[in-house]
Amino acid sequence: MRRRVVVSGIGLISPLGDTPEQVFEAAMSGRSAIRLWNDDPLATAQESASVSAPAVVARAPFDVTRFFAKLQLTGVDRVSQMAVAAGQLAKQDAGLEILDVDAGLYVGTSMGGAAALEQSYANFFDGRRIPPLTIPSFIPNASASHLAMREKLHGPVLTYSMACASSAIAIAEAAKAISRGDITMALAGGSEALLVPGVLSAWQSLRTLADPGDDPARACRPFSSTRSGLVLGEGAIFLLMETLESAQARGARIYAEIAGIGFSCDATHLTKPDAAGQVRAIKAALRDSALSPSDIGYCNAHGTATLVGDLVECDALAQVWGSNLSRLQVSSTKSIHGHLLGAGGALEAALTVMALSNRAVPPNMHCADQDPNCPVNLIREPHHQAPHLTAAISNSFAFGGSNVVLVFRNHA
Amino acid sequence: MTTLLTLKKLIHKTFDIDPATLDPQAPLADYGLDSLSLAELLFVVEDEFHIDFSEMPKDVNTLADLALLIDELPIKQAA
Repeated sequence: MRRRVVVSGIGLISPLGDTPEQVFEAAMSGRSAIRLWNDDPLATAQESASVSAPAVVARAPFDVTRFFAKLQLTGVDRVSQMAVAAGQLAKQDAGLEILDVDAGLYVGTSMGGAAALEQSYANFFDGRRIPPLTIPSFIPNASASHLAMREKLHGPVLTYSMACASSAIAIAEAAKAISRGDITMALAGGSEALLVPGVLSAWQSLRTLADPGDDPARACRPFSSTRSGLVLGEGAIFLLMETLESAQARGARIYAEIAGIGFSCDATHLTKPDAAGQVRAIKAALRDSALSPSDIGYCNAHGTATLVGDLVECDALAQVWGSNLSRLQVSSTKSIHGHLLGAGGALEAALTVMALSNRAVPPNMHCADQDPNCPVNLIREPHHQAPHLTAAISNSFAFGGSNVVLVFRNHA
Repeated sequence: MTTLLTLKKLIHKTFDIDPATLDPQAPLADYGLDSLSLAELLFVVEDEFHIDFSEMPKDVNTLADLALLIDELPIKQAA
């Protein structure tokens, strides 16, 4: 028998802040965390200059000394540091002091320890010695292992790498394992820390990044006719997920229930999304949740603000919702927190869950002129209340054609 | 500056361990150093002393062991 799964804790190290309240307030207010790379406090002057063209990024404010002594930081890349912090914060937010040793840990990341790898290449091509802990710092499952060691988790500790859908699939897999009774509780989410000049330049080379324009904070404009591309961000976000029974038994606050999951692969192109593939994932998620399109009040869109991506997603939504499309409230919160890639699905799932528990929809900012070819019901004003909101979806449509859709519903 | 004193300063700089608490005869593991932090320490030691441990030194359990190894190394390399 299938068991019901709820979200009872949220932990974040994100561009919008590091508490659920702070992050949701920033999202509802539409306060952008996007800045010029040249103004980035962690980029040295030399690094700023080494990026070929002006770039904007969404850095997560993170005081590592809250979570690590200096000795503990040996060989621990920023991606793992943030994962350990966010996992711990999710546990605390759920009101738990320790996690059961059998609890699961499901982690998404697209690049692992990007800074460690980049440093080793820089040294190598410069004829300098390579730091001895490059490999253990870089390996993509290091985040999961560090968090497992910190929280003493001996159950399933798994890492997923599916580009922009990595943490969404991590949440989906955790939900499945809890639902079928393999485990009672899990931390699920993702971590990404790739704001280093080599990686940034590689993304620029792909010609997918937003033009900083005159106002860098407004550089990410999903669904706008003036959109110019995506903005890279960083962070780590974990959800504490458990059975409804377990949450109720310990009197936990429940943010929302995971009603269903769906995924698909386009199998058409590595970077060009395909509406048919997205439709399959959305329909699978609705089927899994036994909800119909008209039950869904809000869609946290993938909406990266690339020319093609936004069009295809609107096409997919139109195909599923049909004549009900105008009743579906849509926003891409990437407009203010950027694209966290491997951690993006988890941040957006967290915002969707908070939208449900607060019955309020965060806005899609910087879209004064909505693209007429993206005819969805965009929520463009801050502080939008949604008193009748009972179910919502979060879309993650990744490079590689990997699509993951999560459906959440209000528990109360 | 003696080798031991330099090592204590390096350990302070690298791991933020108070030099006053470091007993040269105590196992480095007592201060929380594991095999990975030891690898990191040997790397910075090589830079600081301009030496090269051609292979991972064995039997380095204490600060005194490490100091002895460093002091003996140039002689070994010259031989």
